[in-house]
Amino acid sequence: MNDDFLKEKRILLVDDEQELLDMVVSILKEDGYKRIYTAKTAEQAVCEAQRVRPELAVLDVMLPDGDGFSLLKELKKEADYPVLFLSARGEDEDRLAGLGLGADDYIVKPFLPKELLFRISAILRRSYKNENPLVPLHACRIDFSRAEIHRGSQRISLTAKEHDLLFALSQNAGKIVTIDALCEAAWGDNPYGYENSLMAHIRRIREKIEENPSKPQSLVTVKGLGYKLITEEKK
Amino acid sequence: MSSALKLIRRFILILLLSICLLFVFNAVLLFYLSYHQTGNAGGWKAAQAVSDALTADGNGTYQLSREGASVLEEYQAWAILIDDNGGNVVWHSDNLPGAVPLAYSASDIAQAVRGYICDYPTTTGSHGGDLLIMGHPKTAYWKLMWNTFDYNTIAKLPQHVLVFIICNLAAIFLIYMIASSGIFRSVKPILCGIEALPQGEDIYLKEKGLLSDLAASINRVSEKLSAQNRQLRKKETARANWIAGVSHDIRTPLSMVMGYAGQLEEDTALSQEARCKAAVIRRQSEKIRNLVSDLNLASKLEYNMQPLKLSKVSMTSLVRQVSADFLNMDLEEKYPIIWETTENLPACFVLGDKELLRRAITNIIQNSINHNDEGCGIYVSLAENSGQCEIILEDDGIGASDARIEELNDKPHYMVCDDSITRQRHGLGLLLVKQIIAAHQGSVEIGRGSHGGFSVILRLKVS
Repeated sequence: MNDDFLKEKRILLVDDEQELLDMVVSILKEDGYKRIYTAKTAEQAVCEAQRVRPELAVLDVMLPDGDGFSLLKELKKEADYPVLFLSARGEDEDRLAGLGLGADDYIVKPFLPKELLFRISAILRRSYKNENPLVPLHACRIDFSRAEIHRGSQRISLTAKEHDLLFALSQNAGKIVTIDALCEAAWGDNPYGYENSLMAHIRRIREKIEENPSKPQSLVTVKGLGYKLITEEKK
Repeated sequence: MSSALKLIRRFILILLLSICLLFVFNAVLLFYLSYHQTGNAGGWKAAQAVSDALTADGNGTYQLSREGASVLEEYQAWAILIDDNGGNVVWHSDNLPGAVPLAYSASDIAQAVRGYICDYPTTTGSHGGDLLIMGHPKTAYWKLMWNTFDYNTIAKLPQHVLVFIICNLAAIFLIYMIASSGIFRSVKPILCGIEALPQGEDIYLKEKGLLSDLAASINRVSEKLSAQNRQLRKKETARANWIAGVSHDIRTPLSMVMGYAGQLEEDTALSQEARCKAAVIRRQSEKIRNLVSDLNLASKLEYNMQPLKLSKVSMTSLVRQVSADFLNMDLEEKYPIIWETTENLPACFVLGDKELLRRAITNIIQNSINHNDEGCGIYVSLAENSGQCEIILEDDGIGASDARIEELNDKPHYMVCDDSITRQRHGLGLLLVKQIIAAHQGSVEIGRGSHGGFSVILRLKVS
């Protein structure tokens, strides 16, 4: 998937530790993100948010003048954009409190740079999917906004289930998505017992996207676990 | 209150037994006493003996033989012989009291036979057609003058006896209940108190009445136990909080170590050697991260500060997700995860805490990774049989010696061991696995797998 448009997003980082802020900024800059803003307190964060109108906020839970949960509510009053918590508090209650308030993800410190970058790009891709250009695969490109496959001059439509499955796979391009996670993406909260249907859908998707569906190159099977979508960038 | 009921039951049994014993005892005593009372017929026999010893000499005088005289002497009695024709006394013993009349009408005779002559109790004997009356000392007998009863009274005697017994039993029972209810009232709170002690409840009994000393002692014991429990809980909370605090404070600095090490590892401007060093720092930091979070959770589980959030969890889905997460993070592909079960697996639902179970599976796989720096294959299989979900996680790495496996299976971890610490027996990762699986009433079996390395088998009850 072409992620370049995501690198233009305005990201607001809020943490009271200057050194941690510096590190996260350097990680993001190294990965190509250009518009990064920082704040060390909740008050600064609110001011900065009004000024720069961020498209993603990364918040610490414990701030010197308040907690991240209250800050999240405050920020969401102004505009609705994705929020990721980055916290040293790893207890389940905190995690659930954060996600319950509408946060898009919750990362417990310490974290690996790759993990942070992956989660940020996944959130941005999910949140700004409509701005998403075509996703290039080996033999075709996927246009999620129209639920279509572009194969040369040919346009092949995707069914709703095929779209959901391909979208879940492209969100995690290059990574294994388990059978259960795919069933959940397509059939909702009670996804058990759909494994055979899933296989049938995967076969039909392969017919649409692969050059040779019996030797798939873009949508590969990971035996027993799930499937992996290989995009041209994630090879 | 089972003890109180037992106590009441025992008292009632003892009471009934006592009543039965008393009844038997009284019957025996009555029989014994009345057996000796049969001698009362002696007075009548004596009168007949005296009569037999009396002989008429033909001219109207009578002679008492020596035996007859000795009978009178034995009974300290006097005797008269009343003529059948005139009712006159035709003979009397020498010791006849002066008040005793010497002539008797028919009604006098009837009175005398039935009861007394001048308050002397009498017995009679026949001497041909004449009547011999023997007068005993005034205190020798107590005679029943009107020895008749209504016919109905005698006919209903069995019922009367029964009513008598029932009334008596009821009276005894009533007396017992009144007497024992007072005691029971005093004992009841004591019993309740003692029964509540093992539950660790705070107890306060009123220190008054029959058993006030006992109540006071129980109050002291309860206070002491509560104080000890509070103290213990406080210590445990302090310890768990301390560990939680340390693990929290270590996370932010460790983020920077891991973050920068990760960046340096990827920095192509650096030499290969420097990048390898950065990779070592990153890997070791990850180990510290895992250790810190394991330590925190293990201490919470140990001190029961981690309530289980139970829900229906598909173990198949969970193990699959954990495996995929590891594969997704394993960029060097040093630790391939090989899924060894058939495609159409049952969902293997268990009632459990999803996050904790995820942690257990993660820790087992992480354990294989930690002990095999050179890389190893990790083999995962799942099966559902006889109501149990069996998860087998094996590797083809360096494995462990038999002694080590035995230690891992049987010896407690240093964190939950009350001996002095001699050496660390095994990592926290496996302790946590054991704790989590134990909290789900499952079992953990550590051993050597079919692929030559380490193996862990988890068994959980299918819901």
